[in-house]
Amino acid sequence: MEKESLIASLKKIVKPYIQDEEAFDNLTEDTDFITDLKINSANLVDVILDVEDEFDIIIDNDSMEKMLSVKAAMDIITLKLEEK
Amino acid sequence: MVGNDIVDLKQAALESNWQRKGFLNKVFTQKEYAYIQDSENSFLMVWQLWSMKESAYKINTQQYQHRFFNPKRIVCTLMDKAKGTVKIDNDIYNTFSTMDNAFIYTVATLKITNEIKSNCFKIKKAHYKIQHQTCKNQLKKAISQLCNIKSESISIKKNILGIPKLYKNNQPLKIKCSITHHGNYGAYAIF
Repeated sequence: MEKESLIASLKKIVKPYIQDEEAFDNLTEDTDFITDLKINSANLVDVILDVEDEFDIIIDNDSMEKMLSVKAAMDIITLKLEEK
Repeated sequence: MVGNDIVDLKQAALESNWQRKGFLNKVFTQKEYAYIQDSENSFLMVWQLWSMKESAYKINTQQYQHRFFNPKRIVCTLMDKAKGTVKIDNDIYNTFSTMDNAFIYTVATLKITNEIKSNCFKIKKAHYKIQHQTCKNQLKKAISQLCNIKSESISIKKNILGIPKLYKNNQPLKIKCSITHHGNYGAYAIF
């Protein structure tokens, strides 16, 4: 999957949970879900479940552990898609 | 070190669906799942366990300067309605939870102590900037009274991991703190 379209899909997924609009508008690979977008940590569970649904993948706990930034999420999604 | 976490129950009901498929399995161990099943009010038990995990995790990040997102690695045991322990790898944290109709609040410590000062308060608007500012002001006021120093000379800075630190005229203070906010409620704990 292309980087741009992956970021676009992720943006769509996180949108309902973000609290910092400005950080969302300026989202890059380096954006942190919690410290930048101010996503509530309970909602990060929702982000992960939404990612699983959207890409039809399973994110195990070890992978989930690193999913704090856009970059980390992209890496994990790419890896899981390759494993399919 | 101290960690705390508050859950605004109204906000939690609005923004999280804990009954969503897969949610409990991502967050809770089998033992915690049994607590939820056996509880008279599963909703309250979910958020009590959540606040226990969060408060202990906040100490863990201070200790190891490392963040992770894996709620199941943070394992809760309940002693009674209020007291519990939380295990993260080889560390065990003591937790004390309080709740009323509006919120659940947990304070975690590494050692059992009664020297922690904590305070919960209402926040006018559930916007993160206002939540953050209210928490900062409340914490500054408390430190100012505790140390008998001027509020203006106190600053609170968060490091890259999001851990707040206290300063007086830009010199670090020895007091450890933890702040939390959710919805219309906030709290601080100092030690």
